[in-house]
Amino acid sequence: MRPPVRSALAALVLLSGALAAPAAAQGVGQGYELERLGRYPQAVDLYRTILRTDSTNLAALLGLERVLPQLGRLEELVPLVNRAVAATGERDPQYLGLELRTYVALSMNDSVASLAHRWTARVPGDETPWREWAIATLDQQDVVGARHILLEGRKAVGNPRAFAIELAEIAGSTGDWAVAAADWADAVTTDQGQIPNAVVQLESAPENAHRTVTDALTRAGQSISARRLGANLLLDWGQGEQGWTVLAGTITDSSRETVMSLWSFAERGGQIGTPAALGARGHALARFADFTTGALAQQARTDAARALLAAGDKEGAHQIVARIGAGEVTPGLIDVLIADGELDEAARRLQGMADHLAADDASRIRLELARAWTARGELARAEQALGTDSSIEAVAVRGWIALYQGDLGRARAGFREAGPYTGDRADATRRTEMLALITDVDSAAGPALGGALLQLARGDSADAVTSLRSAAGQTAAKAPRDGILVLAGRVAAALDTAHRALAIDLFSRVVADSAGAGAAPAAAELEWARLLEREGTPDRAVAHLEHLILTYPASAVVPEARRMLDRLKGAVPRS
Amino acid sequence: MNRRGFVARLGRAAVGARVALLTPLRLLRTPSLEGSLLVPMDDTQGDHLKAYGLTYRAIQAGGKVEWLLNYRGGSFLLPDVDAIRRDAGLAGVTVTPVDEGAVSAARGEIAAGNMDSVQLERAPKVAVYVPPFEAPWDDAVTMALQYAGISFDKIWDPEVLNGGLKAYDWLHLHHEDFTGQYSKFYLLYQGAPWLAEMVHRNTAVARDFGFANVPALKKAVARGIRDYVSGGGFLFAMCTATETIDLALAAHDVDIAASFADGTPVDPEADSKLDWSQAFAFSGGRLEQSPAIASFSDIDGHQVNVPGHRQPLGAFQIFGFSAKVDPVPTMLVQNHRQVIPDFYGLTTSFLRDHLKPADIVLADEQGAPWVKYIHGDLGKGTWTFFGGHDPEDPQHQVGDPPTDLSLHPHSPGYRLILNNVLFPAAKKREIKT
Repeated sequence: MRPPVRSALAALVLLSGALAAPAAAQGVGQGYELERLGRYPQAVDLYRTILRTDSTNLAALLGLERVLPQLGRLEELVPLVNRAVAATGERDPQYLGLELRTYVALSMNDSVASLAHRWTARVPGDETPWREWAIATLDQQDVVGARHILLEGRKAVGNPRAFAIELAEIAGSTGDWAVAAADWADAVTTDQGQIPNAVVQLESAPENAHRTVTDALTRAGQSISARRLGANLLLDWGQGEQGWTVLAGTITDSSRETVMSLWSFAERGGQIGTPAALGARGHALARFADFTTGALAQQARTDAARALLAAGDKEGAHQIVARIGAGEVTPGLIDVLIADGELDEAARRLQGMADHLAADDASRIRLELARAWTARGELARAEQALGTDSSIEAVAVRGWIALYQGDLGRARAGFREAGPYTGDRADATRRTEMLALITDVDSAAGPALGGALLQLARGDSADAVTSLRSAAGQTAAKAPRDGILVLAGRVAAALDTAHRALAIDLFSRVVADSAGAGAAPAAAELEWARLLEREGTPDRAVAHLEHLILTYPASAVVPEARRMLDRLKGAVPRS
Repeated sequence: MNRRGFVARLGRAAVGARVALLTPLRLLRTPSLEGSLLVPMDDTQGDHLKAYGLTYRAIQAGGKVEWLLNYRGGSFLLPDVDAIRRDAGLAGVTVTPVDEGAVSAARGEIAAGNMDSVQLERAPKVAVYVPPFEAPWDDAVTMALQYAGISFDKIWDPEVLNGGLKAYDWLHLHHEDFTGQYSKFYLLYQGAPWLAEMVHRNTAVARDFGFANVPALKKAVARGIRDYVSGGGFLFAMCTATETIDLALAAHDVDIAASFADGTPVDPEADSKLDWSQAFAFSGGRLEQSPAIASFSDIDGHQVNVPGHRQPLGAFQIFGFSAKVDPVPTMLVQNHRQVIPDFYGLTTSFLRDHLKPADIVLADEQGAPWVKYIHGDLGKGTWTFFGGHDPEDPQHQVGDPPTDLSLHPHSPGYRLILNNVLFPAAKKREIKT
């Protein structure tokens, strides 16, 4: 009979065990709910009940860890967690961690230290106890203590670079940036995958600590990963050229990590977008291209040349373009040539590969070429580049060409037809402004005005001011004449002191002579106010804005004037 | 309600930093006997928010000003003088000159409908409770006052504790944590310079005034504000200030602050020890005990920072009151919109279950267990609570730039704020609320 009895008992035990698990899970769920309701004593009772049947129930132990401190009774957890640790053979890091945190919270420092050392002795090299101890100490706002523990742990586990990330974050949070940089250098030396994380953490260093950080990372003898980290930070902090120099010094092999360091550095430079960062991007991409082949290499070199051009490094761009080679013409290469001002060469290469280009690419490049010829003042070649293109983009470009040629009628027609349908919002606004300016200008003044506007488009602002005034003198009707004078004043206002005085003279003449008629006086007064604000006399600017708003209440510039007035009076935040 | 009595006692001494936004108007010309300026507040208005500033300055200048409740969106009637016309022109506020005949016709319409006319006789002196350091979030009321061009003083704990509130008709509170737990951002934003500054400044004031810790200081400040209202002041609070000032008042003898704020854990029996008789608006709230969760209690219906409990935003509807019978709530709800998109705050809304029976609900979300905008009396004064942080930035995050109100000149949510500024200007009369 005995075997059947044993079987029955075994079955009973299994059954009760099977029932106990969901019951415990259900109990823990009830405990959570009691916690949420703030019924802590009841939650404690429930967790204790669970532990009576299962002394190692981790969820219940963790529940007590949350709740008992709220009741000021955390010491009750000690025997419970001691029992669970013993029952799991002092090996399970979850129970050991809980025991350690409990000791820390109860300031049982001797017990904590003893446990951490026993843990390390039992599992050599395991960083967990020291990390848990440090985190628990940090939870109690003891930053210095946490740092001390991690340094002690570093010795205990026998790894001089252990806990580098934690130590670096602690140092950063306390503003000790030299130490943070040194610790991050250790961290990325151990695991170069940490470089992006390190960059994010160190980026928040204040400006006066930048030099300390980058010096620590890029000094002689520092690891390649640390120097790459330093290169990225230099790039972030506006020193693209130095960043590239540091990075270039780390390119000593062709490993995947090395190639990717170039790529990510170039990407970062593109995101920053300043000339210095774009220059660094260009160099990094050019070097990246050396490690790749085929289309990827050509694309990288094309992008590198674009970046260098954008950074103002024409010579560097030339060198890269030369490496792309005559037989490797791509749309990107022609873009680079156009951006570099090599318009004849660009036109020649375009001609040579016309049959191989997609229609969209060909059309886009022709428009770019036409714009470039226009900007250079070679209007006939610009027309020629457009060919028979009847797209709306080409219509807009032809409008500008006609304007600069002095054919105001054709310019008006082109701008009207293009409307807002091509280019971005700024393009559309420029066309609208120009249309407003030339709408009532008589054709006799067209060549003078066109020539002046071309000078302006080509960046010859000082001469453009003179030419615009001259064109105004040739304009018979008062309203368009005032409009041209306002434009001349606006250009002059952005130049030197003498021109600013001239601008004020022009604005005051327009305001005084107009007797409130037309759009020009309001525009003149707004520009006048802007100039006065730039010159540091906001009170005078306010007076002009108020005069503008009250005198020309129906003017289109009143909302803009009112907004500026609000800003100057502090009614809206400065953005 | 003895509000006028309070106003008459006002001293002139300025407390804190005076923020003069616009030179007060001077009515250079005697108002024309025939003419007035109607400031319509319906959809024809060019800038609803600045219209309040125009009206405020007209009252300040001593002009006869009327608030035409429920008439064309809650319009104003101002004297037709050059200074006001000029001010309106500069501000972009739409004004319509009306002769005596038109005014009479309007009065006839007002007499016949659910409308009324309230005379605004004295520009209330406004204080905004603002800490003297920069927090990484905006303050809707400060922005509304600045945009409208209504002058105000900035005050903080020292001014309240030194009795400085007596100098003001109107006090505004916004994203303030009167439980002294730094909006419970202490653990989340540990190491952030702004938080370090906040802790440092608050701790210094607590020490200077002899309080053991910041929660104790804030309880005393809350009591000072309660005394101010009880004595006849007008309190307007938004966002966290609504909930936490009531918690601070109810917790006068209970520790409700986490250990990071005062060195000791929250009293585990705190919920049962709270004395809600001291609170303005709420009763029966239960505290959020976790120091890591940026929520204070279950008074807030939306619980924006509580994982798993956050409620989605809907729209709230403004109640319509009888203008002739209930002019106070009618003033507080003047608007050109009746349904307004909701917006989050650390305290977004107020659960109906936790309102006191005497609270007047001014706006709620239909079908939801919470309300948005409430009002009530305390002693000789009144309080108004408006949930949420920024009516035009429904999800305002820590670190977000301030809202530019010139992009929202018709904001119905901001109008509710500005109604509160003008409401203390109303001439006292027997009011049944």
